[in-house]
Amino acid sequence: MNLVASDERVRPARLSMRDIGRLAVLACTAVAAIAGIGAVPAQTTGDTSVPADPLLAAFRRPASIPAPADNPTTADKVALGKLLFFDPRLSGSGAMSCASCHNPSLGWQDGLATGIGAHGEVLARHTPTILDIAWAEPLFWDGRADTLEEQAKGPLTAPAEMAMPADRLVATVAGIPAYRAALGRIFPGQGVTIETITRAIAAYERTIVSGEAPFDRWVAGDAAALSDSARRGFALFNGKGHCASCHSGWRLTDDGFHDIGLPGDDIGRAKVMPGLTILDHAFKTPTLRNVAERAPYMHDGSIATLEQVIDLYDHGFVRRPSLSDQIGPLGLSAAEKADLIAFLHALTSKDAPVDYPELPR
Amino acid sequence: MRYRIGLGIAATALLATAAWAAGMVVVDQKGLAFSTASLTVAKGTMVSFQNSDSTSHNILVTGGGVTLNSGLQAPGVAFRAPFLKSGTYQVICGIHPKMKMTVVVR
Repeated sequence: MNLVASDERVRPARLSMRDIGRLAVLACTAVAAIAGIGAVPAQTTGDTSVPADPLLAAFRRPASIPAPADNPTTADKVALGKLLFFDPRLSGSGAMSCASCHNPSLGWQDGLATGIGAHGEVLARHTPTILDIAWAEPLFWDGRADTLEEQAKGPLTAPAEMAMPADRLVATVAGIPAYRAALGRIFPGQGVTIETITRAIAAYERTIVSGEAPFDRWVAGDAAALSDSARRGFALFNGKGHCASCHSGWRLTDDGFHDIGLPGDDIGRAKVMPGLTILDHAFKTPTLRNVAERAPYMHDGSIATLEQVIDLYDHGFVRRPSLSDQIGPLGLSAAEKADLIAFLHALTSKDAPVDYPELPR
Repeated sequence: MRYRIGLGIAATALLATAAWAAGMVVVDQKGLAFSTASLTVAKGTMVSFQNSDSTSHNILVTGGGVTLNSGLQAPGVAFRAPFLKSGTYQVICGIHPKMKMTVVVR
C-alpha cells in the first residue's frame, strides 16, 4: 500500500458530548451483582444525570462497569478472582500476592518509589494503582498489554516480579481443590489454565472502583461540595494549567502516552511503539482519582509530593524533541498552585476498607 | 457516526489519474475518538483522517503486512491514506491507542 499524505486545515469542530457518549459505549456490561461480593461497597459508580454544562459533563462518572465480551463479569468469577488476587501461593517465593504491590490500604499501590520483586529486586518503575482499572486499557506505564487479562499474566510470571513459571502456577492452583472446582465450574471445558486464572483475576480487578469524591458531588450539582479554592483549581486545571489536555474524563486521564519532561533514560512507550519521536520518554497518563493519597508520583516514583509535581509542570520539565506540545512554562503563582492542590484533594473518595479473604487450603 | 464523502471538481482533477480516484472518505477525530468504528470502502479509496481535537494525534494503519505511520498529526491537520489493496486494516492513534477503528477494503 502506498502512502500519500498531505496536510490541510480543517474547520474548527463543534463542541460535543462525545466524551460522555464514549463512556456510555464502554459500559457494555452492567454488573449489578457485584455489590454482594464484598470487594468494594461502592459498585454503583455514581450519579447518572447529565450536567447541563458540557465541560462538567465530560467529567461525569459512568453508570456501570465495562467488561469484555469474552470475559463477562459474574459474581462467581469475581469472588474467585479476589481469592487469587490475595493468594501469595501464586508467586514463586510463596510470599507475594498481587495485593503485595497493589495494596488496597495504599491506594492499590505499594507506597514505594519503585516496586520490589518476589526475591527483593528493585524494579525500574513505580507500581501504578489498579483503581478504576476496568476503564484503563491499554495497561502498564508503556501500554504493552492491550487487555487486563493480558496484563495480569505479566507480573505473575515475570522473573523480576512474582517470578512464578506458568506451568508451576497452573499446577499450584490445580492442587488446591477449591480453586480447581471453582475454575471448572466458572470456565466449563477449560478448567485450570493460565488464561482462566488471569481471567478471574481481571474480573475481580474490574470491581475495584473509586468511590464518589467531593468533585463528583459538585459535578452532579452540589455547589457546596467544593471549596472556593478547589473551584478555582478546577478552572486552572482546564485553563492556564493545561492539565485537562491529558488528564481528561471522569478518571482524569486520556489513557494516552506523553513525554512530560521528567528527567531519565527510560524511553517508555517508544520501546513498544518505535518510530514516533513524540513517544520517546512517553508514559501513560495516570488517573488522578485519590491522587492525594497515592504518593509518590510519576512512572519512576521520583516525585514525593503534589506540590513538587506542579512545580515540574510549571517550570521544571526537561526540554527535548519528544516533549508534549501541551507542556510549557505556566507561570503559576503560589496561590494558583494552592488552588490546584485543593482541586486534586477534592478527587479523594472515602472508600470503605477492603476485607481480606480467607484463602482455601 | 459522522463522515463525509468528498468528490469535488478540484479533487477529481487532481486524482483523476491516480488509483484513489475511487473517491475520498473523511474520518474525523474529535473527543479522543474516531467518528466511526468501522468503515468499508472500495479499493482505491482515499481516507482522510482529520484532527478536530485540540491535541495532537497520530494515525497508525496496519494490515496486509503493511504499516503506515503518519507521524505527529497536529490539531487541525488532516492525514490522507490511500487504500489500494483489498483487506482489513486496523487504524489506531499511537498516542491515544484507545482510539481505534477498522477499514475494510473491497
